[in-house]
Amino acid sequence: MTGPVLSTIAAAALPILVVTLALGGVAKLATVRRETSPGALARLGPAVLMPERFARPALYVCSLVEIALATGLLVVDHPAARWLPVAFFAVATYVLWDLRRRRPDAGCGCFGEVSAAPVGLRSIGRAAALTAMTAVVAVENATGLPALTAETAAWAGGGVALLLALSPEIDQSVSRLRHRAPCEQRPMPPGRALSRLRGSEAWRAHAGSLLTDEPSDMWRELCWRFFAFPAQGNAEVVFAVYLSGRRPAVRAAVVGADGHVTSADERRDASLRESTPVSA
Amino acid sequence: MPHRSGERRRKLAAAVLGRDPGPAPRAPEETAPYDVVSGDLLDVSPHLIILETAGGEQRRMVIAPWATVWRGGAVAPADLPAGAKVVVRALRGGAVAERIWADVTRITGVIREVRGRRDLTIELGCGPHRRERSIVVPYRSSGRIRVRHPKLEPGYLFDAIGLLDQGATLAQLPATSQPPYRATAAPPPQAAYVAGQTGISGTAVWADLPDVSDLPDLPRPTGLPNLADPPEDGVAKGVAYPMLEREDSGCDDAGVTCAGLPYLALGSLLRVRNVCDGRTDVLPIVACGCLTGRFCDRCLECGTSPRGRIVELSACSYVALGGDLTKGCFNARVGLG
Repeated sequence: MTGPVLSTIAAAALPILVVTLALGGVAKLATVRRETSPGALARLGPAVLMPERFARPALYVCSLVEIALATGLLVVDHPAARWLPVAFFAVATYVLWDLRRRRPDAGCGCFGEVSAAPVGLRSIGRAAALTAMTAVVAVENATGLPALTAETAAWAGGGVALLLALSPEIDQSVSRLRHRAPCEQRPMPPGRALSRLRGSEAWRAHAGSLLTDEPSDMWRELCWRFFAFPAQGNAEVVFAVYLSGRRPAVRAAVVGADGHVTSADERRDASLRESTPVSA
Repeated sequence: MPHRSGERRRKLAAAVLGRDPGPAPRAPEETAPYDVVSGDLLDVSPHLIILETAGGEQRRMVIAPWATVWRGGAVAPADLPAGAKVVVRALRGGAVAERIWADVTRITGVIREVRGRRDLTIELGCGPHRRERSIVVPYRSSGRIRVRHPKLEPGYLFDAIGLLDQGATLAQLPATSQPPYRATAAPPPQAAYVAGQTGISGTAVWADLPDVSDLPDLPRPTGLPNLADPPEDGVAKGVAYPMLEREDSGCDDAGVTCAGLPYLALGSLLRVRNVCDGRTDVLPIVACGCLTGRFCDRCLECGTSPRGRIVELSACSYVALGGDLTKGCFNARVGLG
């Protein structure tokens, strides 16, 4: 790729980054200021990974850092203001990856409570795309608002389209327009969730070990429906199906009769779980 | 579909979603619930009360000089008859009785039939999981009841606090103002899209939840001091919740609410906070609140609650959170455990 193209991309990416950072910071601030119920932040983004008493300060710090980075990108003419966002988004990508592994029910909280849907590959992809954009901006040392040309506008349009495609919040907004009630208040027949489960990868991975095709227990909590199946070795396989979205998340774990988790989708760090109080 | 213990469900859900199965720790502004002892009255004197709990244990408690006793009205402690079902709010680790309610019952149901001219006999349907009840509104209480229940006609809701006396159920006090609509015509919740909300405010009421003690696997979460009560205390903890999926819970009347509640399951833990005094407890959902969601009333205890009943607490849980059984409700905020 040649230099002029890179600088055009940097010029297109800069306003996107500034707007994204500012939006994220303001939305997080609004969420943390509105929150009154104790323990409620324990289901949003990085706050999940914190002990509860640090959850609120952590979100404050995160939002202020985002606003500071946006301001820095816009007005500070120093390489640090270019490279700090790279580090920020790289760390954010890792944190989201980790969050998905450890707390699959928690939302990313990227835009406050709007981002309450469980972290998926799209959220992680978005953070990675933003990291790439910041890296281009840092390499090209772009600053301030660029001159608007047709080429920059085209790249900016492409960048915005990419970010929107990677934003699960858009699904939420469409749901708001389509449904009068959020997913946790919508009745959802168990049969539909069961057919979604049977089409999932998690089902195919565990179907061989199940003793029967019919669940021994099923129940629903908020947007998750759980199915428990008896499995070989006196164990149970429990599946959790998210009840919203076109390709809902399906999780599985094998639990022994003593309640010990013998295998889950992915390994989880128990020491970290102990520091994160429960929320559903 | 057989229902298994809430404890097991919580363990499985925690395993698959990687969360902690226990309740969250109590926040600084939340206070511990009262000690509650319930059982059958064995003996009482002006200063001492002896109960036999559901577990067969005898409990002797000193009656505080300021203690109040209710049995159809304020009575002296020594006037309580032996064998009465008693709920005691206690201090000092359950050694001192402060408030005593005897033979109190909550009469909530849909009116099926009304008979009589002076003393009224009302047949009530109390939901598919609770028995049909035949109650009597004595003439001396009928004025008070009728003022708050202007439509004593089949199909309308009825909610009163009563007294169990020699096998009869006597309605004593109205617990709420009767909703003006029929039980089958409860208004839907306000159309507002609030996804992922973490706490819901509304009215918490109490009910006789007879099935609480019948559940063999009544979940007893640990982690909060008050939850470590030994079961032989006869303290039946739990709530009835209206928004359960009908297929899972076997409650054909569930899934109705006018408070915009989310769907939960039998066995889910709810954190119930009495907004008036901050007392908080984490309680499992043990029954369907088939009628709970059909009341769109407000609670007027220390401020006006938002519209709609959100939970029905067992009598012991209600008292532990600072509620007065002769007042039908308190303002509550409910979140997931």
